[in-house]
Amino acid sequence: MKLFRAWLTLASLTFRRLLWSANTLMVLLPLAACLLYVVRRHFNAEGFSTDEFRQFSEFMILVFASFVVPICSLAFGTASIGGDREDRTLVFVLVRPIPRALVLVAKFTATLPLVLGLVVGSFWIYCRLAGEVGQAAFPLYLPAIIYMTLAYVCLFHLFAVAFRHSTIIALVYALFMELLLGNLPGIIKRVAVNYYGRSILYAAGAERGLPPPDPQWFEPLSVRAASWALAGIAVGGLLLAIVIFSRREYRDLT
Amino acid sequence: MQRAGHSHFSDATHHAPESSLLLSFEHVTKFYGPVIGVNDISCRVGPGITGLLGANGAGKSTLIKLASGQLRPSQGTVRIGRHAAWSTAAKNHLGYSPDTNNFYEEMTGRDFVYTMARLNGFSRREARQRTDHVLEEVGMTDRARRRLAGCSHGMRQRIKLAQALVHDPWLLLLDEPLSGIDPGGRREINELLFRLAGQGKTILVSSHVLVEIEQLASSILMMSRGRIIASGTLAEVRNLMQYRPLTVEIVAEPARRLAALLAENPDVLGVEVRDSVLIVRTRNPLRFFAQVGDLVCANGIDLRRLQTLDSGAEAVFDYLQQGRP
Repeated sequence: MKLFRAWLTLASLTFRRLLWSANTLMVLLPLAACLLYVVRRHFNAEGFSTDEFRQFSEFMILVFASFVVPICSLAFGTASIGGDREDRTLVFVLVRPIPRALVLVAKFTATLPLVLGLVVGSFWIYCRLAGEVGQAAFPLYLPAIIYMTLAYVCLFHLFAVAFRHSTIIALVYALFMELLLGNLPGIIKRVAVNYYGRSILYAAGAERGLPPPDPQWFEPLSVRAASWALAGIAVGGLLLAIVIFSRREYRDLT
Repeated sequence: MQRAGHSHFSDATHHAPESSLLLSFEHVTKFYGPVIGVNDISCRVGPGITGLLGANGAGKSTLIKLASGQLRPSQGTVRIGRHAAWSTAAKNHLGYSPDTNNFYEEMTGRDFVYTMARLNGFSRREARQRTDHVLEEVGMTDRARRRLAGCSHGMRQRIKLAQALVHDPWLLLLDEPLSGIDPGGRREINELLFRLAGQGKTILVSSHVLVEIEQLASSILMMSRGRIIASGTLAEVRNLMQYRPLTVEIVAEPARRLAALLAENPDVLGVEVRDSVLIVRTRNPLRFFAQVGDLVCANGIDLRRLQTLDSGAEAVFDYLQQGRP
């Protein structure tokens, strides 16, 4: 019971500190920019248009899912542990009687609902504002958005426990691997998480007339394979983060 | 008392406490890559206040980090009671006050200590009670509602101490706990630590200011270059001085006559005369002090003052450090 109370306190503390951090303001900027696009685009509120659905979907896949989701996940995923490391308050947690594995799980448990809340909440708002096409897109794309968020949050927790300046490294990863390599033709894009998410998103959108991407630039995986890949990244990333965090000495805390 | 070489076992315990109340290091070595942080240290710290002394880079922080389970030894074992210091079980018995000045700055001092109590698994009610009690102990009750970002260094030191005490551990590791605290506050903290020691707690206080430790600790561990070079009570460490060269200042008339007599003494290494003041270097202080009285009486010399110039703990520390390879 004592351990559970301690764990719950840590999760709640992490959630509050992340929510009221500068990171929240930082991620609101790209989310607001997406909102502005959807509002300015004036999607038809009544009636479904395949052309509008394609435009809305491409924006959601290429901008929201490929750029905004990783940025949101990065901001909180690295900060939950990395922030404590950088401001050297992690030592106060590490000298408490909470197993390190549970410390990381508490951090993850606090971070995931926050990121999911922001990502899914803003996606829901965009879809509501986009009228018929948005309402059609929401249930189609929601699972892939959730899988991607989960994979990114796990991955960035791994970065946070493995690297001292994890935010910078994660930012480089997001810009270089996700944006650049993830959009190159050929097999190299498989290093990017968004490749697997986009594979699922394109397959989901095809149900409502979203044309497949140019195979010269993007050859999607099957939904099943992409889902397994995202699950693997999430579970593998989190487990690896737990193992590293449980064994690692943080010499820079005091 | 012992000069603790790498193969010796230093003991900073005053009596024979239960092994469950000991912080023990057994042949502990810690490498930072190719650099050695502590080198084959074996010692035990028991109930009471033990001062951990050493210059910057001596290995004090590494030793404290090993004891608080932040680092794992490259070789050997560190135990808190029966538990390995790295283990979660050991953390139940450990209160740690780091030397860094970082907090959850957005919190008040009270919220911070309360949160730390909750992180130890206490219920809200018990955490509140413990927080109130421990804030009173460290003299922060009336100032604990200030945000930490606006607290003075001394107040932050007290809050750090409070969070270390809030779960009532038997082992306290305090890294430079008196730095930045005014003399009045220092006295209060010292009194608190004496009270805690009186309750049978094991307290290891690290400092590079010897005067602080002299006032506070009943036992000391002296570190230099990653090793414990001496351990025991301060008096025991001082006893080392009787077998080391010492500089003595003597004011006497006639000074030159006394200088000539002292120069014939085989234990005197050198005599310097400055008007009526003699600066004498002796290789065996105890024998020298016994002989100089006889010499003065036998020759009718007016001895006005005799004092050692380097008998303080600083001199002991310097000497012990110089004695190492």
